[in-house]
Amino acid sequence: MKYALFPGCVLEGAAAEAYTSLKKVCEKLGIEIEEIPNWTCCGASHAQGVDDLAALAVNARNISIAENMGCDIMTVCNTCTLQLRTAKARLDKDEKLREKVNNILKESGHPYEYKGTSQITHFLWILDDHPELLDGKIVNPLNGYKVAAYYGCHILRPQEVMDHGDGKHPEYMERLVRKLGAEPVWFDANRKCCGFHAQLAAEHDVLKATGEIVDSADRAGAGALVTPCPLCQMQLDMYEPEGREAVHSQAQVPILHLQQLVGLALGLTKEEVGFNRHVSAQDKLKLG
Amino acid sequence: MSKEISRRTFIKGAAAAGVVVAAGSYFTWNGNNIPEKVKKGDITYDVLIIGSGGAGMRAALAAAENKNLKVAVMTKLVPTRSASTMAQGGMNGVTGVSDPTDTVESHVFDTIKGGDYLCDQDAVEYFAERAGANIYEMDYMGYPYNRQKDGCFHQRKMGGHSHPRASYFEDRAGHAMVHTLFEQCLENGIDFISECQMLEISMSGEKNDQLNGVIAMDMRSGNLIGVPAKSVIIATGGYGRVYWIRTSNPYSSTGDGIVAGMNVGIPFKDPEMVQFHPTGLSANGVLLSESSRAEGAQLKNKNGERFMEKYAPEKKELATRDIVARAIATEIEQGRGVGEGIHAGVYMDFTVIPAERIRERLGQVADLSKRFAGVDITKEPVLIAPTCHYSMGGLEMADFHTGESRVPGIYVAGECSCVSVHGANRLGANSLSEVLVFGHTAGDGAAAYAKEHNYAGSQDKLAQDCQKWKDRFEEVTSRPEGCGKTVPEIRDAMVNTMWYKAGVYRQEDQLNQATQELKALEEEYKHCYVGDSSHVYNTAFEQYIELGNLLQISHAIVQGALARKESRGGHSRRDFPKRDDKNFLKHTLIFKDQKTGEYRAEYKDVVITKYQPKERKY
Amino acid sequence: MDVKLRIHRFVEDKKWVQDYTLPVTVGMTVLEALTQIKEHQDPTLSFTCSCRSSICGACAVRVNGNAELACEILVENLMKRYDTDELTIEPLGNFRVIRDLIVDWDPKYARIKKIKPTVHPKAEFSAEEGCKQSPEEFNKFKKLAGCILCGSCVSECNKNSWNQDDFLDPFVFVKAAKITRDSRDKDPKEHLKAVVDAGLWRCFNCQECTAKCPKGLDPAGAIEKLKEATFKMGLDDNVGARHAKAIYDDISDSGTLDESKLNIKSEGFFAAGLRAPMALRLMRVGKMNPLDKHPVNKEIDTIRKIVKNAEAASKEEN
Repeated sequence: MKYALFPGCVLEGAAAEAYTSLKKVCEKLGIEIEEIPNWTCCGASHAQGVDDLAALAVNARNISIAENMGCDIMTVCNTCTLQLRTAKARLDKDEKLREKVNNILKESGHPYEYKGTSQITHFLWILDDHPELLDGKIVNPLNGYKVAAYYGCHILRPQEVMDHGDGKHPEYMERLVRKLGAEPVWFDANRKCCGFHAQLAAEHDVLKATGEIVDSADRAGAGALVTPCPLCQMQLDMYEPEGREAVHSQAQVPILHLQQLVGLALGLTKEEVGFNRHVSAQDKLKLG
Repeated sequence: MSKEISRRTFIKGAAAAGVVVAAGSYFTWNGNNIPEKVKKGDITYDVLIIGSGGAGMRAALAAAENKNLKVAVMTKLVPTRSASTMAQGGMNGVTGVSDPTDTVESHVFDTIKGGDYLCDQDAVEYFAERAGANIYEMDYMGYPYNRQKDGCFHQRKMGGHSHPRASYFEDRAGHAMVHTLFEQCLENGIDFISECQMLEISMSGEKNDQLNGVIAMDMRSGNLIGVPAKSVIIATGGYGRVYWIRTSNPYSSTGDGIVAGMNVGIPFKDPEMVQFHPTGLSANGVLLSESSRAEGAQLKNKNGERFMEKYAPEKKELATRDIVARAIATEIEQGRGVGEGIHAGVYMDFTVIPAERIRERLGQVADLSKRFAGVDITKEPVLIAPTCHYSMGGLEMADFHTGESRVPGIYVAGECSCVSVHGANRLGANSLSEVLVFGHTAGDGAAAYAKEHNYAGSQDKLAQDCQKWKDRFEEVTSRPEGCGKTVPEIRDAMVNTMWYKAGVYRQEDQLNQATQELKALEEEYKHCYVGDSSHVYNTAFEQYIELGNLLQISHAIVQGALARKESRGGHSRRDFPKRDDKNFLKHTLIFKDQKTGEYRAEYKDVVITKYQPKERKY
Repeated sequence: MDVKLRIHRFVEDKKWVQDYTLPVTVGMTVLEALTQIKEHQDPTLSFTCSCRSSICGACAVRVNGNAELACEILVENLMKRYDTDELTIEPLGNFRVIRDLIVDWDPKYARIKKIKPTVHPKAEFSAEEGCKQSPEEFNKFKKLAGCILCGSCVSECNKNSWNQDDFLDPFVFVKAAKITRDSRDKDPKEHLKAVVDAGLWRCFNCQECTAKCPKGLDPAGAIEKLKEATFKMGLDDNVGARHAKAIYDDISDSGTLDESKLNIKSEGFFAAGLRAPMALRLMRVGKMNPLDKHPVNKEIDTIRKIVKNAEAASKEEN
C-alpha cells in the first residue's frame, strides 16, 4: 500500500510533530508514503476567495504530480483534503474547466496535465477503510482511556465533496478510537467548529469556540481530545489558555493529532509522537 | 405587578390613539412582527393589504409608489410562504420576444376558450393588454428570468395556449416572483404586519358600509388587534383546502379573505368553479407535474387497462386536465380504482419511459413519488388521483379597472378574487399574470381611494369587535375535552362530504345531501374541541378559525354547484353533462345575509365583447 | 414499527422535552408525524408549515441536531441514518424561539435589508422595456436565486452561534452574492460594501450552511464569491482580506505558508506585536523559530506562472 503524501504547510512548520508521528505510524502499519515533490500550499481555504481560478490551478498542479507518481494521495489535514477534493470534483465534472486549467498548466511550463486518475483520501479514512491494517499491531491498547473524538469541519462537509460516511452523523472516528482500546466519549461540542480560519477576523468569537470545545470534552471526562486535522489541533492546543479565559473554564485537555493517538496504541512513547511539542496540558496525558 | 398595570395603561392609551387592542389584554408584544407605530397605535393605514402572496405584495408596491401613503401588508404566516410560491410554469404576457407572431387578441381568445366562455371578455382584454407590461416591470424589479440569446427573457408555450408567452425562472416561476416582490418590499420599507390571523373586516354605519379597519389576532401574543385603515385589499388566496389532502394547495389556502368579504356584503362569485388536476399523489394530493403525461406516462386501472383509450381514444393521456380528471374519477367510482376512501387512485405507469429519460426530465416527479409513496417510478407504477389545484371563483371584483369590490374601500386581488378572467377553467401560467396585473390595479385603485377619502371609520366599533373576538377566543379555547368533536374530526368529515359529493363530479341528490351534511357539521363546529388555551402562537385556535371559514366556503360551493344545472369547465354535473349557454352563460353570485347568515344566489350575465361561445375542442 | 419523537417544547416561558410515540407509515415525513401528533395526541404542539413540497420554507426544524425541511425528510430514513427509533426534534438554531418549533423571522428580515436586497438596474434599462442579459450572465446567479428562506443554513452556523451582531445569516450572503453577480445591477459595490461592513470576513468557513441547505445552494461558496469580488472592487482593506491575500501571496512567494509572517501581513506589524506572548509560547515548545529561513519551492517559477496565467484567465472571464 503506497500513497503520495500531501503533508500541507503546517506539518512542515508548527505541527512538525504530526509529520514525525505520521512517518513512524505509517512505517509500523506498513503504509508506504512518498511526499509529493515540490507540492504547494492548497490555498488553506482562503486563496479561492482571492482568485478562484488561480487556487484551482495550483491544486490541479499538486494532484497532477501525484498522478504522475501513479499513486492515490494521502492527506493529513481536513482543510487540505477539502481543498484538493473540491478541486478534483470540479475538474472531473466539468470538461471545459479541466481544459482551461490544463492549458494554464501547460503554458506555464508544468510538465503534467490533470487527468483525474488519483483518488484523494485522508489518513483517517484509510484506517477506516482498512481496519485490518491495525490487526495484531496494537501492542499497547489504550485501556478504556476516555477520548473525545473531534472531527473538525472540513473532513465532514460538504457531503458531496467529502463523501466518507454520513457527514451529518459520522461514527468512523469513534470506531477507530474504540479499536485502539480507548473509549470515545459523547461531548456536546463534538461537532462545533474550532474557528481556526477566522482566528484573526473574529478573534473574540473564535476563542469562545475554542474554549467551549475543550471545556465540553473536559466535562465529558475526556483524558484527551483527538483530531484528524492539524489546524484544529493547533487552534485547540495553542489557544487553550485564551479559550479557557473566554469561557471562564478551568479545563486542561491534551489535544492530540490522530496519528499520535494511533502511535501510542502501536507502542510509541509520548516523546516519540512529539507530545513534548504541545503547548497545553503537558502533564495531563496519562498515556504512553 | 406594576409592570402589568403599566401594560394596561399603555394599551388604553394605544386604543385611544389608533390601533385598537382588546381591553384586558395583558401580554407583552413579542418581537417586531408588528411595526412599532402599530403597537403604539399612532397610525391609520391608507391601504391595508391582507395576504402576502404575489397579489398582496404587488399591490403594496403599487400603492406605496405614492410616497405619502401609509401602506402595510398583513399576513397570517410570514411573507414568502404563500401559494404563489408554489406556481411552477410561468407568467403569461404577450411581448413577442420569443414569438413575434403572438398577439394580445390571441391571448384573449386562448383565455376565453380555456375558461369555457365563462370569462368576462372585457376583463380578459384588460388583463391581456397589461400582462406583457407587467413582465417587463418584473424584469426591472430583478426577477431572475431565464434568458434567450438576444438578452430578452425567454417565453415558453403552456397547455391551451397557441403561442409561447410564459416567462419563467426554471420550474419555479412563482417562487422567483414572490421573492423578487418581497425583496422590493423590504428595500422600499413596506410595513409588514406578520403572523396576524385576520378575523374580520370591521364595518360600521347605518347600512354597515363604513370601513373601520381589520380585526386580527397577533399570533405571537394572542392579543386581538384592530388596525384602522381607509382602504383594505383582500389578497388572501384560494380555497383548495376544502378538499384538505386532495389538493395541491398549501395548508394556508383556507379562503379566510373570501369569508371576511362575504361577511361584509361582497358576493362570492362562481364558487363552484374549482379546477382539478388529474395527477396528484393518492397519498397526499401533492402534484405530479403535467410533464408526466407529456413524456408518455400511462394511466391504468386496477385491471391493468389503459382506460384513457375509452374516454379519449385519440389523445388518451394527453387529453385536457378536466377530461383526464373526470376519467380517473369515473374509474375509481365504478370500482376499478386501487385503494380505499380518500386515498383511492389509479396507476400512473412510467415504466414505459426509459429510466434514463425519467431521470433526465422527470427528476422532481421521481423524487416526490419516491418520497411520499415509497415508489421508484422507473420500476413500478405510482398511485395517483385528481387533486384540487385552483379556485377560479372568489370575491366579486366589481370594477376590474380599479380592483374595487361593491363595498366602498374594499378591494380584491389574486386567487381570492373573481375578476372574471379565468371563467370556468384557468389556463396554465395565467394565474401569476393575473396576480401581477390585478395586484397592481388594486394597489393603484386603493391608493386613489385613500387619497380621496378621509378616515371615517369608528374606533369604538373597532374596539368592540376586538372585544367580541377576544371573548370568543376565551370561550372557544376554554372548552373542556369531550365537549364535542375535535377540529380535525369535523374537517375530515367536511372533506368526505366535499370530495365525494361536490368534487370532480356533482349531481343533484348528492349535492342536496352535502348541504344537509354541511349544516350538521356547522352545528357541531359550534361546540367543537380546540384543545389549547395558550395565548402564545395558538395554532390550534388558528386552525379552528380556518375550519370555520372552510365550512362557509364549502357551503357556497355546494350552493353554486346545485344551482348550475350544466357542465362547464371545472364544474361537471352527471345529471347535466352538457354546457348550457342558453341558461347558464352567467355568473353565480352567492351573498351571505348579514343578519341571518343565510346564503342567497343571484346571477349576473357574462360579458361578451366579440367572442361568441363555441364548442370547446382541443 | 413505532418511532418516539422527543420534541423540545417551549410555551409561555416553560421549557420541557415531550415524548410522543406513533407508528411509522410509508411516506411519513417529519411534518406528517408532527401533524398526526397535533391532530390525534396533543393539539397544543405548535409548528408552522404551508406548502409541504419544499418550496415555501415554513417548516424547517432541527432533527438530531441537523436542520431539515420537515415536509421533505422521511421519518423512516432518519431512523435508518441514526440507527434509532428515537428522534429529537428542536426548533432551528440561531433563531429566537416563539413557541415550540416556531421561530422569530423578524430580526432576519432586518438583516436582509442591510444589504439593499434588490437589483438597482443600470441606466439603459427601464420598467417599460425591461432589461437585457445574456444566458451566460443569467447562469452566473441563477442557482443563488433558488433560496427559499427556510433558515436551515443558519441553524448550525458556528459564527452565528457565538455572536449574531457582527455577522449575517448565510442566506443573506446568498442574496448578496446573487445581486452582485447579476449583470443588470449598476453598482455591485454598493451591496458589497454593505456585506463587508456586516461581517463578510468573519465567516468561520465551517461549511455547515452548505451542508444544511435543502436546495443545494452552497452558501459557503457564495461567501467565497463575495470575498473574491471584494478584491476585484478594491474593498479589501481589512484584516480578513489581508490574511487571505497573505496566504495567497505566499503561494507565489515560496510555494508554502510562512506562518511566522502571516500575522504581521494580516494585522500589520504593531497589532501582530500584541501577540508576542503567543509567539514566545510557541518558541518555547519549538513550534516557531523566527531565525528559520522559510524554504522556497524548487519549481517556484512555474508556480508563479500558473498563478499569473490563471489570474489573467479569470480577468478575461469577468
